Amino acid sequence: MPENISITLHINGVKRTATVEPRRSLVDFLRHDIGLLATHVGCEHGVCGACTIMLDGRTVRSCLLFAAQADGAEVLTIEGLAKGEELHPLQQAFQQHHALQCGFCTPGMVLSALELLRENPEPTDEEVRVGLAGNLCMCTGYVNIVRAVRAAASDGKVK
Amino acid sequence: MSGEKKWVGQALERTEDRTLLTTGGHFIDDLTLSGVVHAAYVRSPHARAKIRHIDTSRALAHPGVCAVITGEDVAQSTRPQRGRVPLPNSPRVYAIAYEQVRYVGEPVVGIAAVDRATAEDAAELVHVDYEPLSPILDAEQALRPDAPLVFEEIGSNVLWHDTFPYGDVEAAFAQADTIVNERVTIHRYSSTPLETFGVMAQYEPATHSFTIWGHTQQPAQDLHVVAAAFGVSPGQIRLIIPPMGGAFGNKVRPLFIIAAALLAQKAKRPVKWIEDRRESLLALGHAADGIMEMSAAVKADGTVLAIKFRNIENEGAGIDFAGRHNLLMLSNIVNCYRLRAISYEGYSVVTNRCPVVANRGIGKPFMCFAVERMMDAVARALKLDRAEIRFRNFIQPDEFPYETPGGQTYDSGNYPEMLRKALARIDYAALQREQAEGRARGRLLGIGIATAVEPGGSNLSYGMLISGPSQLLSGQGEAARVRLETDGTATVFTGGLDSGQGHATALAQIVADELGLHIKQVRVATTFDSASHPYVMTSGVYSNKFHGHDTVAAIGAARKVREKLLKRAAALLEANVDDLELSDGRISVRGALQKGIGVAQVASRAYWSLADDQPDGEPGLEALHYYNNPLAKRPDEKKRLRVQLGFASAAHVAVVEVDAETFEIKVLRYVVIHDCGRQINPGIVEGQVHGATAHGIAAALLEEFEYDQDGQLLTTSFMDYLKPTAADLPDIEGDRLETPSPLTLLGTKGVGEGGAVVAPAAIASAVEDALTPLGIQIATLPITPSRLFDAVSSGMKRYERQKQNSEYRRQNPE
Amino acid sequence: MKPAPFNLLRPKSVDEALALLQSHGDEAKILAGGQSLVPLMNFRLAQPHNLIDLNGVEGLAQIKFDDQTLSLGAMVRQRDIERSTSIAEGLPVLREAIGQVGHPAIRNRGTVGGSLVHADPAAELPLLSVALEAIFQLQSLRGKRSVAARDFYQGYLVTNIASDELLIEITLPLPPAGAGWCFTEIARRHGDFAIVGAAIILGLDHDRRVNFARVALGGVGPAPVRVTAAEDVLVGKKPDAELYRCAGDAAAQAIDPPNDIHASAAYRRHISSVLVRRALATAETRLKEPE
Repeated sequence: MPENISITLHINGVKRTATVEPRRSLVDFLRHDIGLLATHVGCEHGVCGACTIMLDGRTVRSCLLFAAQADGAEVLTIEGLAKGEELHPLQQAFQQHHALQCGFCTPGMVLSALELLRENPEPTDEEVRVGLAGNLCMCTGYVNIVRAVRAAASDGKVK
Repeated sequence: MSGEKKWVGQALERTEDRTLLTTGGHFIDDLTLSGVVHAAYVRSPHARAKIRHIDTSRALAHPGVCAVITGEDVAQSTRPQRGRVPLPNSPRVYAIAYEQVRYVGEPVVGIAAVDRATAEDAAELVHVDYEPLSPILDAEQALRPDAPLVFEEIGSNVLWHDTFPYGDVEAAFAQADTIVNERVTIHRYSSTPLETFGVMAQYEPATHSFTIWGHTQQPAQDLHVVAAAFGVSPGQIRLIIPPMGGAFGNKVRPLFIIAAALLAQKAKRPVKWIEDRRESLLALGHAADGIMEMSAAVKADGTVLAIKFRNIENEGAGIDFAGRHNLLMLSNIVNCYRLRAISYEGYSVVTNRCPVVANRGIGKPFMCFAVERMMDAVARALKLDRAEIRFRNFIQPDEFPYETPGGQTYDSGNYPEMLRKALARIDYAALQREQAEGRARGRLLGIGIATAVEPGGSNLSYGMLISGPSQLLSGQGEAARVRLETDGTATVFTGGLDSGQGHATALAQIVADELGLHIKQVRVATTFDSASHPYVMTSGVYSNKFHGHDTVAAIGAARKVREKLLKRAAALLEANVDDLELSDGRISVRGALQKGIGVAQVASRAYWSLADDQPDGEPGLEALHYYNNPLAKRPDEKKRLRVQLGFASAAHVAVVEVDAETFEIKVLRYVVIHDCGRQINPGIVEGQVHGATAHGIAAALLEEFEYDQDGQLLTTSFMDYLKPTAADLPDIEGDRLETPSPLTLLGTKGVGEGGAVVAPAAIASAVEDALTPLGIQIATLPITPSRLFDAVSSGMKRYERQKQNSEYRRQNPE
Repeated sequence: MKPAPFNLLRPKSVDEALALLQSHGDEAKILAGGQSLVPLMNFRLAQPHNLIDLNGVEGLAQIKFDDQTLSLGAMVRQRDIERSTSIAEGLPVLREAIGQVGHPAIRNRGTVGGSLVHADPAAELPLLSVALEAIFQLQSLRGKRSVAARDFYQGYLVTNIASDELLIEITLPLPPAGAGWCFTEIARRHGDFAIVGAAIILGLDHDRRVNFARVALGGVGPAPVRVTAAEDVLVGKKPDAELYRCAGDAAAQAIDPPNDIHASAAYRRHISSVLVRRALATAETRLKEPE
């Protein structure tokens, strides 16, 4: 019987401790043990990006990480992006530009866009498309997503 | 005053978005119940086999396992299904495989355990003894009299076969100057919603009733299927459908619901099953693959007089959609063209592949691919420009309403203008010059043209053409209820469903206009609940019905509420109803605007003050409206009926470059001119056009469910089943044309399927055009660099489906 | 798709990791970036009883240049290679290769060592390691050993690493100063494993004759292939389009590529010649005058 592992981590700035089965994925842990439901599971093999979160400031596929591996880490999910009632500029841009339809890919997409803009504050359309190529969307055809990310970039408020 | 459209027509931000962007929480896997356990399935590794024996003892003994079901359990505890549109000879299928497996991935054993991981551990402990049989995989092979039978009880693999002659086809062929023949095929693919199928079922033994959260696109029909399976009253099934993360026609699988419900019954605990991606690709459902043979009677000036069609649709091992791909193709088959006559012979064939679903466009992508390939072939035969051939054959704008040979009525449109606009946007002439210059240097640039009609809503009476006139299900309609709350806001309940298209926003815009409210004051209850939402059997989200049915039902209910509201206000204001104005949450007397009352005040009294006189005869401010489309009738004696209830249209022009050495295909530009009549929310509409077009481009270039000759699906993950990423798709530019429909209350026409219907044809046309120097015709999809190279390097003049599975094996005589 | 149960072992040092590897042997797998292993585990195609998580082990993530070589610790993240200015300047072909590995989120976790040891024949890093004649530094409790890239890759997903060994570091010999380079691939989609990948290094002497040529192909066999036949065509000759075409043809003749659902053998063979030819032309544009 595999030994469960005690972990301590910060999720959206809040300290959490838990005991997890080694095979418990980080996304399942966040969703079902912590109750942060906005991050989604789309494939469990690291292709679709729906499970994208930030671990210690970098985007990762949380379906390919075990919760135990997040011991000592800082995790950011989309629930940690807005400041109270005030949406993050990327969230606002997505809303303004119809960059979501069913919304299932959106949390992962927004976090990938955030990383993209932090590293490349003025991307071209092509650079946005390549930067977001790790996040599949089945609804939008990506056109409005690119528009939203470009708009957020040109507003210059993304940090 | 009602009639003034303040919200409808605006590209408002969607009301759904804030939640989706912040906390989410409404999808099926976000819901749970106390004591819930989780399901996993053992699935067939064989495409066709007898189930000799199943040993579940080790699985049952595994710690944490609560229940196990096999086909035997299902056969004992539930009644079999005969398909949504049963044929006279429909076989019976159960929720999981019973006695036999018919496709790789078919569920064979269901297990409920404390968590999904444990259920999967237990699944590995199940032993199934199979006797493998030779599968039949190819639809043409399946027609042979000696082919292995997918369902022995029907005696053949043909679920349905019929021929529809419309107009005098023979006369047209006699008048033709040229006959042009074409044969095209299409592959299996799917829109693969990012959220997989989910269901959570709870059983209450005392009342023999179920509460089920889950997915469907036709809630009333699925509810009845589930009730019938368990032999209970529909009132004993409560079906709750939360917003879905995409559906695209794939989430109509009542068998999945029945299996989960049975597990819940056995486990005596609620059971939740969230399909994983591998299961979804294997077994949720595919768009049908098919073969279309065509023969066109053509005049020297390019007029196409008539086309004969012979279509074979491969339904896989599913019976739910028998004949439906065929019939919906038939209803759109003259596309935008003024054909005088058509004859259509259709086969619906079963094989040992994944069952087919009504994937975005249900058959119409193939129909459009076939017809548009034929138009390009006609252009080639007559040495006419491909745009010109279409202009010569288009139904003209002054010919609406236009009745097609098959009895469809096209209500409005302007196909020539649509195509002209698209060509102007791309600067066709300049592009052709660039293409010619490029060809001289060995550059393979291609321009693809495709146009299509896009129906909005289906008359489900068409099922009678398959199952006979006694079928109960007919027509098309929707139900809605609007409630004015005590604070003057409104809530809308509808039998329509949410799968990402912004229906809640659109309905809120409509109802806000009807009731003079601000958009923020109208909410739509997006989780359907059969216990509280109104519905009719045609309720749901499918077939582009929203624009003309959900909307009208909501308007009807809102107008009834408005009438009640004004009656109350008139009494309170001591004025005449006809003198009242309703806007911005206030009812006032025309010409005496200071004499008014807030909607909230009136509404509040309607609920609270029951001791007062009720001007309306009853308290409350809520109204229900059922809408049935008067155009959706039964077939006549000549098998003609209005299947599609309105027609949008679009012109797509694609510009591609094919690398002359590597045959990689890059889409350089993509233009869509789209006409869906009046647009409720242009932002939402544009997004639908983008997304559907993306599906079509990907179907043409990337996606394919590939089977090997044993019936094993080779593409069972997103590493092999290739979805387009943002880097693989072009920007999709476009514009709208707006010819309002005279058939719908708002002048709207359907939107949602369209791009997925047209784009495969546009891409094929573009690639073929690019390869003109090589003289190779595109007769199948998808077009991949490797296959293109193989075709060109072997000197083939046609890019067509290789004869796979052309020989079924007779190794295991039955 | 949940993995089978396993123990998660979290060593804090290389010695601890090696001790765990020795005691668990075949019943253990190394967890580095997890981007290749965890999908396999989720599909239950891999069911290790024990996972040895290297993410907490110090000292495996150095990036170190000297005059002749670049040493990369096995746990260097692919993203850190992508972001490294010293690598962009000192070994640009590596920078070019790494940008084609998957997507940012994959590269954030994926490691050099993980990719090399997983040994997918269509992966970028194994191909580059073969082109550059990398040396793999392996270690176990039994001692250290160095294995040349050409001996490291033995078959489809099979490497020379023993079950008690850990890849500690890889040493990449730097190409001669002024050499041109190109890493290119054809894939079905951006970020996918290559259908065919080509890694080319091209160096010229003072007479502008080729004196250094590396031609390696990935995706054309069970392991990345160093195409010496193509190199032999190049060495001693003056570069021109015809020479590159011959080198490309030689490459196509030298390989025996597979068929799979994404590409036929014939296509792979054909684009191998095209890629080699195009990559050589690109490499030529990147030649610098040696100081």
